[in-house]
Amino acid sequence: MYGRSQSRSTGLFLILCASMLLLAMLSEQSWAAPARGAAKSALAPFESAMTQVAGDVDRVTAVFGDVATLRAENQRLKAADEALRRQVVELNAAAKENATLRQALDFERSFGHRMVAAQVVGRGPDGFSRTLQIDRGTADGVRPGMIVTTGAGLVGRVREAGPHGSIVQTLGDPQSRVNVFLSKSGLQGTVTGGPSALQLEVGHSLGIAPSSGEWALTSGVGGGYPRGLVVGELASVTPRPSSTTDQALIAWVNDPAAISLVLVITDFVPS
Amino acid sequence: MKWLYGAALMLATILVQVTWAPRLSIAGVFPNLALVAVIALTWTGGVRSGMAWACVAGLMLDLTAPGPLGPHAVALLAGAYLTGFWTRNVDGESLLHPTLAVAASSAAYSVILVAADDTLGLPVPPLGVAMQLLVAASVYNAVLMPVALLLLRRRQHASPAIRASSA
Repeated sequence: MYGRSQSRSTGLFLILCASMLLLAMLSEQSWAAPARGAAKSALAPFESAMTQVAGDVDRVTAVFGDVATLRAENQRLKAADEALRRQVVELNAAAKENATLRQALDFERSFGHRMVAAQVVGRGPDGFSRTLQIDRGTADGVRPGMIVTTGAGLVGRVREAGPHGSIVQTLGDPQSRVNVFLSKSGLQGTVTGGPSALQLEVGHSLGIAPSSGEWALTSGVGGGYPRGLVVGELASVTPRPSSTTDQALIAWVNDPAAISLVLVITDFVPS
Repeated sequence: MKWLYGAALMLATILVQVTWAPRLSIAGVFPNLALVAVIALTWTGGVRSGMAWACVAGLMLDLTAPGPLGPHAVALLAGAYLTGFWTRNVDGESLLHPTLAVAASSAAYSVILVAADDTLGLPVPPLGVAMQLLVAASVYNAVLMPVALLLLRRRQHASPAIRASSA
């Protein structure tokens, strides 16, 4: 009796697993992409409503002890601080460039992009994929591969787009890669995602070493991201004299848990 | 009707997981409420009921994640199946066993999710990062399990209809 029940459960388990794997293979096909995108978009309004409820609950609980006032003031100051810090970083980076490079720099590409504002309505369901769900999709001109930022700096890239919602792979995703340069030393490296902080592999140069407090900006190398977007500040550096690169941790300018509004750059096409 | 009620509750759990739960992130992980709910339902309602809910919750999770539909459902199915073995051999009233079961299921869920993504050609995290996330998620979910189980048992005692729908 016990053995029969167990084998029935095993049989059901195998059938369900096979069905789900078959569904995964079918839904991955290119012809199924529109239907998959539409299905994923269908959940976006519910997530938006839940995010709204979460915001309302936060506001209600923050009423106690004038926390709401302090929080609003803190947010305003933080936003102002972020904007000022971004300006300082951009000015420092611009000063670093010599006149020839500045002439060559296409300011239209770096700063004159067309953007679509989107609200963050949800986040990835587990720690293996650090993603955000936004309420803009193909109907708003959003396409997979487009770059996503905030006023503070780079967020990531659109991975999938449905009619009225998209999934954004953030820099915090373990599979994310972005080439950067450092604002003071000018050294170049690659930032990868991680569970708690962004990791930077930065090359040495004779007599030049990265230092904490430097800012990392997208270098544009590889054509995946436009040049000059702020990624974060070097929090700590671990020198590796026997290696050709040093390792560093980067404090991301965007707090992924707190991002509520993003901008999708719609006119930059990654090469 | 009972199934619809259960599905609505499961949808609410998933929505909480993808909107509120990330705010409780510790060591790069946050509670997997869907997994905890499926294991609690398996523990109280049996392995078949648990596997059915695993499919429902998994497909809902897949709708919120990048990639095809199915990997999260397979990962949750493995957790429910593993817990089904556990329930047959231990004291069902104990809180220790379901806690251990959810820790083991979290590990199985993580391994299968990464393996499924790898098989389907989707990006997967490096092994070291995956292990770190696996351990942290197991501990986090295990801590939540007794609370979830107590809530579910209280709810089932209050409303026998829910027990009937999960069985």
